Amino acid sequence: MGHFFTDRWQRWIHRRIPRSDVQHFDQKNIFILPTRAGFVFGILLVIMLITGINYQNSLIYLMTFVLGTVFIGAMHQTHRNLSGLELSLLKAGETFSGEEIGFRFRAKASGADVVAIWLSWRGHKVAPVHIPAGQTRDVNLLIPTTYRGYFRPERIRVETRFPFGLLRAWSWIRPATSGVIYPSPLTAPESTGAVPDECDDASASPIDDTDHAELRPWREGDLSQRVMWKRYARNGQMVVADWEGEGGSPHWLDFDSFQGIDPEVRLRYLAWLVRERTKADQPFGLLLPGVTIEPDQGAAHGQRCLRALAVWGLEGTEVPDGEAINPLEVARASSGSEARS
Amino acid sequence: MKLFPMTGSNERADTQQPPLPSSALLWLLASFGILVMPQVDRLPLWLVASCAVLAGWRWLAQSSRVRLPGRAARLAVIITLVAAYVATVKESFSVDTAASFFVLAVSLKWLECRSTRDYYVLFFILVYLGGVNFLFRQEIYWALVNFVALAGLLIGLQLLNAPDLPHGVASGWRRLGGLMFKTLPIVVLLFIFFPRMAPLWSVPLVSSEARSGISETMKPGDISNLAKNDERAFRVTFGGETPAHRDRYWRGLILDYLDGETWRQSSSDGFRRPGRVANDGGVGELQSDEYEVLLEPTDQRWAFALAESRVASRNVVEESEDLFRFRRPADTTVRYRLAFEQETQASSPQLSVEERQRYLQLPDAGNPRARELAASFKERLNDAGMVETLLSRFRDQPYYYTLRPPRMAEDGIDTLLFDVRRGFCAHYAGATTFVLRAAGVPARVVVGYQGGEPVANNDYLIVRQYDAHAWVEVWLDGQGWVRLDPTAAIAPSRIESGLRDAVAEEGSFLEDNWASPERYSDIKVVRWFSHQLDRINYNWQRWVVGYQGESQMDLLSRLPGSFGLKELGYISAGIVGVGLLIAALFSALRLKQLERKDDFGRLIVAWHRLCNRTGVPVRAGDTPIDLASKLASAAPEVSDTARLFAQGVNSHYYKAGAEGGSVELARLRRLLATMKKQLRHSRSNRNRS
Repeated sequence: MGHFFTDRWQRWIHRRIPRSDVQHFDQKNIFILPTRAGFVFGILLVIMLITGINYQNSLIYLMTFVLGTVFIGAMHQTHRNLSGLELSLLKAGETFSGEEIGFRFRAKASGADVVAIWLSWRGHKVAPVHIPAGQTRDVNLLIPTTYRGYFRPERIRVETRFPFGLLRAWSWIRPATSGVIYPSPLTAPESTGAVPDECDDASASPIDDTDHAELRPWREGDLSQRVMWKRYARNGQMVVADWEGEGGSPHWLDFDSFQGIDPEVRLRYLAWLVRERTKADQPFGLLLPGVTIEPDQGAAHGQRCLRALAVWGLEGTEVPDGEAINPLEVARASSGSEARS
Repeated sequence: MKLFPMTGSNERADTQQPPLPSSALLWLLASFGILVMPQVDRLPLWLVASCAVLAGWRWLAQSSRVRLPGRAARLAVIITLVAAYVATVKESFSVDTAASFFVLAVSLKWLECRSTRDYYVLFFILVYLGGVNFLFRQEIYWALVNFVALAGLLIGLQLLNAPDLPHGVASGWRRLGGLMFKTLPIVVLLFIFFPRMAPLWSVPLVSSEARSGISETMKPGDISNLAKNDERAFRVTFGGETPAHRDRYWRGLILDYLDGETWRQSSSDGFRRPGRVANDGGVGELQSDEYEVLLEPTDQRWAFALAESRVASRNVVEESEDLFRFRRPADTTVRYRLAFEQETQASSPQLSVEERQRYLQLPDAGNPRARELAASFKERLNDAGMVETLLSRFRDQPYYYTLRPPRMAEDGIDTLLFDVRRGFCAHYAGATTFVLRAAGVPARVVVGYQGGEPVANNDYLIVRQYDAHAWVEVWLDGQGWVRLDPTAAIAPSRIESGLRDAVAEEGSFLEDNWASPERYSDIKVVRWFSHQLDRINYNWQRWVVGYQGESQMDLLSRLPGSFGLKELGYISAGIVGVGLLIAALFSALRLKQLERKDDFGRLIVAWHRLCNRTGVPVRAGDTPIDLASKLASAAPEVSDTARLFAQGVNSHYYKAGAEGGSVELARLRRLLATMKKQLRHSRSNRNRS
């Protein structure tokens, strides 16, 4: 029964506040209720009124009325503090599982000052910010993570209790964009870590190992790391070492190289390897069942691989309308079907 | 001391308990200081001192100069102070003692004020302390003090909720001021219309404070002490002519029993029933024979009245000896009405045997010379003749009226009459009664006030404690009780114009009370100011403080329609409802206005809408140039216009030039319109093909 009502309540809220990376707050979607202190304040007013009645004291009546109207006025002020605010999601963060994922919002106050508002998600909140009228402030909400995968908060709460803390006005923003949580990196066993080409023996630096590389003239778009600077110094020719031309790369990071290990752990190994390679600025490719990322190097490439690791096995599953999903379950469910095919 | 336990806070942020912002704490402390002020003279000195120490302790702890006490130390402080309280307040429980305890509790709470929650607890109890203050002090200046403290508390709350807001205090005052100003009409209407119900239960407000004023007994020196006191006893408004100064004898109580040197009441007022004095002091215009008294609290049942009055309001009753009494002690300022008796009763009054005995009572021995004098009177004179002879003795022989009477140790009456011949009204009244009684004439001492100072074009009189007076009433067969004032014979100016003139030569008027404005009231400006202040306060007391059951009904009966308490309840609810509605309407209008003002914002919204329609989803953080290029790839026909538009938006953002803003805005608007036209055009072309 209670479930029924919470469900309806949720659906009602979701109708009012559709998924969107931009949310404008006004009468239609701001909620307001007294805080705990506000309730005690109400009780205090009743006690004061009774005191006034009992002692037939006009001035206590007067004081009660003043405080009562202050409370009602505060209701308007608290509400108005939030209304006219516009929140937009600037960037949904990407991070390793176990670390904090940042959702960066831009808050814009149109018309009136917005004082002491804060964002929160399940008790994780940011320090209150003040936004003078017509200005914007950026707010980064950090949320701890547990599982890899997409992360899209169900609703992020924006709240204010200004001016007196007797009332709270709040609303939600329901971001449309998901953050991505990479598998938490786990140091991969050395032997199986990087799978060299069958014919190649070495984990030696590919830049020195120019014998196997095809040398070709520089053309626009080539990475400066691949330029053979020594040759350039000798004869002034810009020559590039191109391993891709060789057919097959020396350093593929392969999901299947960790035989007999739980897939999630394999993903964590791979995440570690990707991170290490990216850090060392080495080229590598990524082989996942159903996903192949050609060797490359650089931060963007690393990020692409990490994303692939983060959402592997979750493609096609709808981005959950909730908090972090547990990809273990999704993976298990989908791997069953894959095995059959 | 957890006065308001608010446990179970589920907010994780609260459990970390960040330190309270100093500015907020400072305002809370300041408000506390202001709120204790009205109570200071009621509270024992040690309690005031511990308030200061505990609050100061909290403040020093804020800057980490000292630490707040741990649990054990706190317990020790609490036990010590509560023990001191119990030792001080030996009497029974009353509102007065409860209020002292409340102050003690507030001051102890300072040691525990660490978290936001504690702050709110203190806020609540300080607000209530403001209410408690009103129980004891209702003058307009104390009301102002209280409301200032209340505002301070609300400023503190704002600082607590936005500690790092720049110019927090100034904007806090502005916000609070605006709020109060806007809600003022509702407060006023509620004050007028909120039904004033009868008390649900009655708790006496008996105060242990020794009030100045006349007392139930009279020793020769008593009233001369009162003569040094310029506090107000009561104010009087007459419906008709104000009686002359010499006729303004305010009878309070009758002392008919001489006990050695002390005059007292033979039958005391009896058991003082606890309870509150009723404040239904009558309503409407005063009739020409009526007068209205606004009495300061006396903690006695006495209602001071002129001779030959009758009851005109419901809260006073007439008792024996033509005295008026309230049903309960006057623990607050109380208003009542009396009227002059039209005709004195024609039937010749009689004195019963018991009464005659009572009014002839004298101690068995003492003052032999006075008794001798009485015996010599009795031999040769009738009752009226004795009275006359005694008065002319006072008038003709060198008797002096003085505020500095010498000590008269034994046989005080003899010493006064035959030796020193210097005394105050109480001396002469006592001596006169003694001599008359010794001569067999029934007599009694009457205590009350005489005179009163007209204020504000004779609008009303102020009677002060130094107007306290004692005189004599003597029984003359066929006439009944007749007033006899020996002081009038000795110092006519006391009766004609008041104490100041009576002791002008002596220079003893308020001689120890150098700060009193009354002392300097022969300076015109001082008098004018003190009268104006008093007038404001008098009207405040009559119309605001005294706005209670009867006066509310009276005011409303002048309005068309009939109002009962129930109707008033509906009206009050209606006022609140209408107030809310108006406020909602205003804020909606304001929002509309703001939206209209932000032309540029609306333009951007329209442009985003256009992008979305064209199939270019707008993501937050997209720069205008990004959007334009995306739009160009989605709809090549608008690429130029879109780029121009985006550049315009960019220059608006980054140049932030105020000049030429409207020109630029118009250009952007035109560009947007062009884009729309182009899109429409190409769409219709596509449809046609």
